[in-house]
Amino acid sequence: MKPRPGATSLVTADSTSHAATSGTLVAMQDVALTYGSGPTAVVAVHGATCQVPIGARLAITGPSGSGKSTLLHLMAGLEHPTAGVVTWPALGEDPLGRPGLVGVVFQGPSLIPTLDIVENVALPLVLAGTTDEDAHELAMHALDTLEIDDLARKLPDELSGGQAQRVAIARAMATRPVLILADEPTGQLDRATGAHVIDVLLAAADLLGAAVVISTHDPAVSDRLTTRWRVRDGLLSTTELSTAHDTLGVPR
Amino acid sequence: MTGTWLRGLLRRRRGTLIATASGIAVAVALLASLGAFLATSKATMTQRAASGVIVDWQVQTAAGADTSAVLEATRRAEGVTSALPVQFATTDGLTATTGGTEQSTGAGVVLGLPADYRTVFPGEIRTLSGSPDGVLVAQQTASNLHVAPGDKVTVARAGLPPVTVTVVGVVDLPYADSLFQKVGAPPQSQPAAPPDNVLLMPATTFASTMGPLSVSRPDLVTTQVHVARTRTLPPDPAEAYISVTAAAHNLEATLAGAGLVGDNLAASLDGARKDSLYSQVLFVFLGLPGAILAGILTAAIAGAGAVRRRREQALLRTRGMSVRQVVRLAAVEALFVGVVGGLVGLAIAATIGRFAFGSTGFGASTSSALSWTVGAFVVGLLIAVIAVLVPTVRDFRESTVAGARARAHRERAPRWMRFGLDIMMLAGAALMFAITSQAGYSLVLAPEGVATISVSYWAFIGPALLWTGIALLAWRIAYLVLGRGRPLVARAIRPLTGNLSSTAAAGLSRQRTIVARAVVLVALAVSFAASTATFNATYKAQAEVDARLTNGADIAVTQSPGSSVGPEAATAIASVPGVIGVEPLQHRFAYVGADLQDLYGVRPATIAAATSLQDAYFQGGTAAELIGRLGAQPDAILVSDETVKDFQLAPGDLIRLRLQDGQTKKFITVPFHYAGIAKEFPTAPHDSFFVANADYIAKATASSAVGAFLVDTGGQDTAAVATALRDKLGAAARVTDIGQTRSAIGSSLTSVDLAGLTRVELGFALVLAAAAGGLVLALGLAERRRTFAIASVLGATGRQLRGLILSEALIVVAGGIIAGAVSGWLLSQMLVTVLTGVFDPPPEELSVPWPYLLTTVLVAALAIGAAALLAAQRSRRPAVEALRGL
Repeated sequence: MKPRPGATSLVTADSTSHAATSGTLVAMQDVALTYGSGPTAVVAVHGATCQVPIGARLAITGPSGSGKSTLLHLMAGLEHPTAGVVTWPALGEDPLGRPGLVGVVFQGPSLIPTLDIVENVALPLVLAGTTDEDAHELAMHALDTLEIDDLARKLPDELSGGQAQRVAIARAMATRPVLILADEPTGQLDRATGAHVIDVLLAAADLLGAAVVISTHDPAVSDRLTTRWRVRDGLLSTTELSTAHDTLGVPR
Repeated sequence: MTGTWLRGLLRRRRGTLIATASGIAVAVALLASLGAFLATSKATMTQRAASGVIVDWQVQTAAGADTSAVLEATRRAEGVTSALPVQFATTDGLTATTGGTEQSTGAGVVLGLPADYRTVFPGEIRTLSGSPDGVLVAQQTASNLHVAPGDKVTVARAGLPPVTVTVVGVVDLPYADSLFQKVGAPPQSQPAAPPDNVLLMPATTFASTMGPLSVSRPDLVTTQVHVARTRTLPPDPAEAYISVTAAAHNLEATLAGAGLVGDNLAASLDGARKDSLYSQVLFVFLGLPGAILAGILTAAIAGAGAVRRRREQALLRTRGMSVRQVVRLAAVEALFVGVVGGLVGLAIAATIGRFAFGSTGFGASTSSALSWTVGAFVVGLLIAVIAVLVPTVRDFRESTVAGARARAHRERAPRWMRFGLDIMMLAGAALMFAITSQAGYSLVLAPEGVATISVSYWAFIGPALLWTGIALLAWRIAYLVLGRGRPLVARAIRPLTGNLSSTAAAGLSRQRTIVARAVVLVALAVSFAASTATFNATYKAQAEVDARLTNGADIAVTQSPGSSVGPEAATAIASVPGVIGVEPLQHRFAYVGADLQDLYGVRPATIAAATSLQDAYFQGGTAAELIGRLGAQPDAILVSDETVKDFQLAPGDLIRLRLQDGQTKKFITVPFHYAGIAKEFPTAPHDSFFVANADYIAKATASSAVGAFLVDTGGQDTAAVATALRDKLGAAARVTDIGQTRSAIGSSLTSVDLAGLTRVELGFALVLAAAAGGLVLALGLAERRRTFAIASVLGATGRQLRGLILSEALIVVAGGIIAGAVSGWLLSQMLVTVLTGVFDPPPEELSVPWPYLLTTVLVAALAIGAAALLAAQRSRRPAVEALRGL
C-alpha cells in the first residue's frame, strides 16, 4: 500500500461531512431475519441490536453458518429484516439507493467476469453517475493506490485469489465509502495472502477515514481489529469488546 | 451415485433440463410430423392416382388368339373385379349429310361395347347430348361431321359396302389417350393424339355392322378386355406401382402370348410415385432445416448451462471422481433429456398428425411408420448426446480443471472464421445455384424406359450451403460489430443504458461469441419461417393460378360442341345474381397444314378483366403487350412455341389456317400474321393452340359462335353462382367452377397435403422463433444472474439493470431479424428456382405472406422482450442464493 500524491482526495468532504452529522453509521434494533416459513423456516439472525460508529474497526466472529454474513447483508441493506429495524443515521434511509457510501467486499470472486479489472473497479462509479472518463481515472487511481495497477487490463479469471480480493477492495474504495463491509474477505485465501489482503483493506480504510466491519471466523483477522462482536446461532453478542489496538492495521 | 446425481439435477436444474428436453421434443415432433405428412400425402397420392383411372388394364388379345379364353383368364387373375370385352374396328372414314352438305372424315375407329360397360366403367364415356343407349359419336367427330343426335352417319368398311347408323348421342371420351393406346408399345411409339373420328356402338350393333369386317379383314378388328381391379393397394405409390405391375406381368405370363396388358393403373401410379419423390424433396427442403434448427437450438439451450456444468464437473474431479465417472454422469443427463424429449416429441407429432393430416401414424406402411418413429427418436437422442455429452468429453480433452472453472476467456475468432468458411460456402451456394437453376434441370429424375426413379440430391447442396453460409456470415458480422465496432455498439445502446453504454458494450464485446450465437439462432429461425412461408405462399398462389388457368375464370360456361350460341348470350349469364362480368371466348378447331389445333378467339380489350393473364404465359412480350397486338392488328395471331419451331416462323410471317365456315360448314383458308408466342392460355390445352382476335375470326368464318363464357364472380360464392347458372342454362352448357377445378387438378402431391405441411411448419417456425429468441436469451441471462447480482450490490438501479439486459436483447433482436430477413429472402428465391418442378406454371414473382412474417418477427421480439424484462425484474432484487454465492 503506497500513499501516492492525490490519494487523500479519495476522501470527499461530502461523505465525511455527511457522516459527521451523526456518530452512528448503522443502527440495528431487535433485528431478525428468517428464511422460509413453517417447519422448514431457518432463523439466520434474531434479536440483533447494535450500532456501528464512525471509524469503527469491527470484527464479527463466529463459526460458519452462525449468521455473520446475514448480519453484514442487513448492515449493507442487501437484505431486509423480517423483524426489527435497520437504520443508517449517518448515511440516510437506504445506502443502496445512494451507491458508493457503503463498500462491500465479498468472500468469493465478486468481479464481473466479462469486464476487465479497471472496468470492474470503475463500475460502481459509473453506476453512481460518474462519467466514463472520470470513473476510469478514479478506478486507475484506486488500483494504483493498492499497487495493482498492472492488473488493469486483465480479466478477472486471469487473476489469483489474492489479486482478485485486492481488486475487490480497490472497487470498494473507489467510491470513497464511509463504511466498508467485508464478508470473510480472506476465507478462500492462504494465511499469508489473507494477511496481506487485510493489510490492504485496513490501510485503504485509514486512507479514506472509513469504518470497517469484517465478518470472519479467523482469529488472525479478528485480532487485527479493535472491536469484536460474536454471533452464534443467529444471536449477536456485542459485549466482548477490546480496546487493545490504538493503531489501525497493526496486529496485537 | 447416478441416481443421486439425476435427482439433484431434477431438483436444482429443472429449468435447464426442461428447456433442453423441450428443444429435443420440438426436433423430434417436427421430424415425426413430417413423417406423418409423407405418410398421408403418399397414401393420398396413391388413392388419387388410382381414382383417376377408370379402366385399370386394357388386355389386348393377340391376333388369332381365343378371345374368350383371354377373357376367362383375365377374370381369374388375382385382384380383378370385372373384365369386359371391347371390340375395336378401323374404318376408312365416316360420312354424314347435314344441312344439305356432306361432310367426310379420314380414317376412324368404331368401338363395340358390352351393355354394362358404362356401369362397370363409369366416367369412361360422358354423354354431352342425346341418349346414352345406341350409337354414339365422339365430340370432335360430331364437330367434324356436323352431326347431332338423330343424324345418320355412314361407316366405310374396307372391302365391304358401307353401313349407315343413326347417332343417338354425342359423347366426350375423357380418357381417350389411354383408351386408344397402342398396347405394349413403348411411350415413344404411342400415337401423338387419339383418333379424331370415333363411333361407339353397342356390342350387338357392332356385331351386325362391323362383324363381317372381322371375317374379311381380321387385321382391322381387334378385341381388348377392359379390366377393373381391386383398389386395395399398398399406400405408398411406389409399392402400389410395383404390386400392380407385378400382377400385370403375372397375367401376361398366364396368357402365354395370347394377350398383352396395357397397364393404365400402373401408368397413373408411376406419376404418383414421382410426386411422392417430390414430397420427399419438399421434406428435405422445407422440413429438415427446421429439425436441424431445433437441434442447434437444443445445443444452444444445453450450452447456456455449459459454464456452470463445467464448473460442477471440475469440482467433481477435484473431489476425486474419474473422468469416466464424470462422463457417465453427463451421459445419464443426455439420456434422460433425450428419452423424455423424444417421447414428448412423438406424442406431439401424433397429436399434430391426428389434427393436421388425419393420421397418427408416421409412415405409409408399418415398416416406414416404425422407421420414422425410431428414426425421429434416435435423432432426439443424438441431439441430446451432441448437446450435453460431447461438450463434456471435449472439455476433458481440451482443458484443465482450472480452465474449466473459468467463467470468461479472452475472445478469439473461431477457426472457421479465420479460414473464411462462410465466404467459401456462399461462393459454393452461388455456384450450385447457377448449375441447378439452368433451364431443364430436373429434381426428380425419371429416365424413359427405366423402372426406377430417383431424386437428384445435388440441388439440395445450393440451399444448404446458402443457409449455413449466411448463418456463419451473420455470426461473423455480429462478432465483428460487437468486437471492433464497440464504440458503435455503445452509441447504439446509449438510449437504453445511458452512461453505462461503454461498460455494457465492453461486456457484450467480451461475450460476443455467446451474443453472436443468439443472433444467428434468431436469424436461422426467422429465415426458416420466412423461406418456408414464402415458398408455401408462392406455391399456393401458383396452384390458384393453375386452377384459374385450367378453368379460365371463377366459373366457365362451356357450350356444347357445334353450338352456335353467340356473344349475346352473355347477357343472360350476367343476369344471374353474383355474376360481376362475363367474357365470351371463341373456341374453334383450325388446321395448320395437316395438324389440327385449338383456336381461341378473344376480345383484346376486355379479356384481361375476366381472367388472369400472367406474363409467364407468353413469350416475346408481356401479357398486356401481346394481347395489345391482337387489338392493334386484327389478323395478328399468337401461336405455340412448338408451332414456331415446326414452321420456322418469324414475327410478321403469314400463317394460313383452315377454319370451318359457319354458313357453309366447309373449311376455308383464313390468313393470319404471327405476332407472338402463347405458352399457356386459360382453358387451352398444354400443347399447341392459337389465340387470335375474336372479331376477325367471326368475320372470316361468318360465325360469332362462342365456345365458352368466362364468368367473373369476384371470387365470391362461386359454387352457389355456378349452381344458379346450371339451373338457368340446363344441359345446354357445361358449368364448371374454380373449386371443382382445384380439386380436379389436385392430383399431385403439393396441392393435396401442402396445406397440412404448411400449417405444421409455420407453427413450428413460430415456436422455434420464440424459443430461439426468448429461451436462449432467458437461459443466457439466467446464467449471468450472478453478474446482475453483483451489479445490483454495487448500486445498479432497476433502470440500469434493465438497460444492460435490454441492450443485449436489442442486439439479438435487431441482428437476428435483419440477418434472418436477408437470409429468408435469398433462400426463398433459391427454393422457388430450384423447386421449379413443383410449380405449374412457374411463378412470376414470390408471394410474400407479410402477416405471417410480421407475426413471426413480433413473436420473436416479444419472446426476447419478455425474457429480458423477466430477467430485469429478477435481477432488481438479487436472490438470496446469488448473494450467498458472492
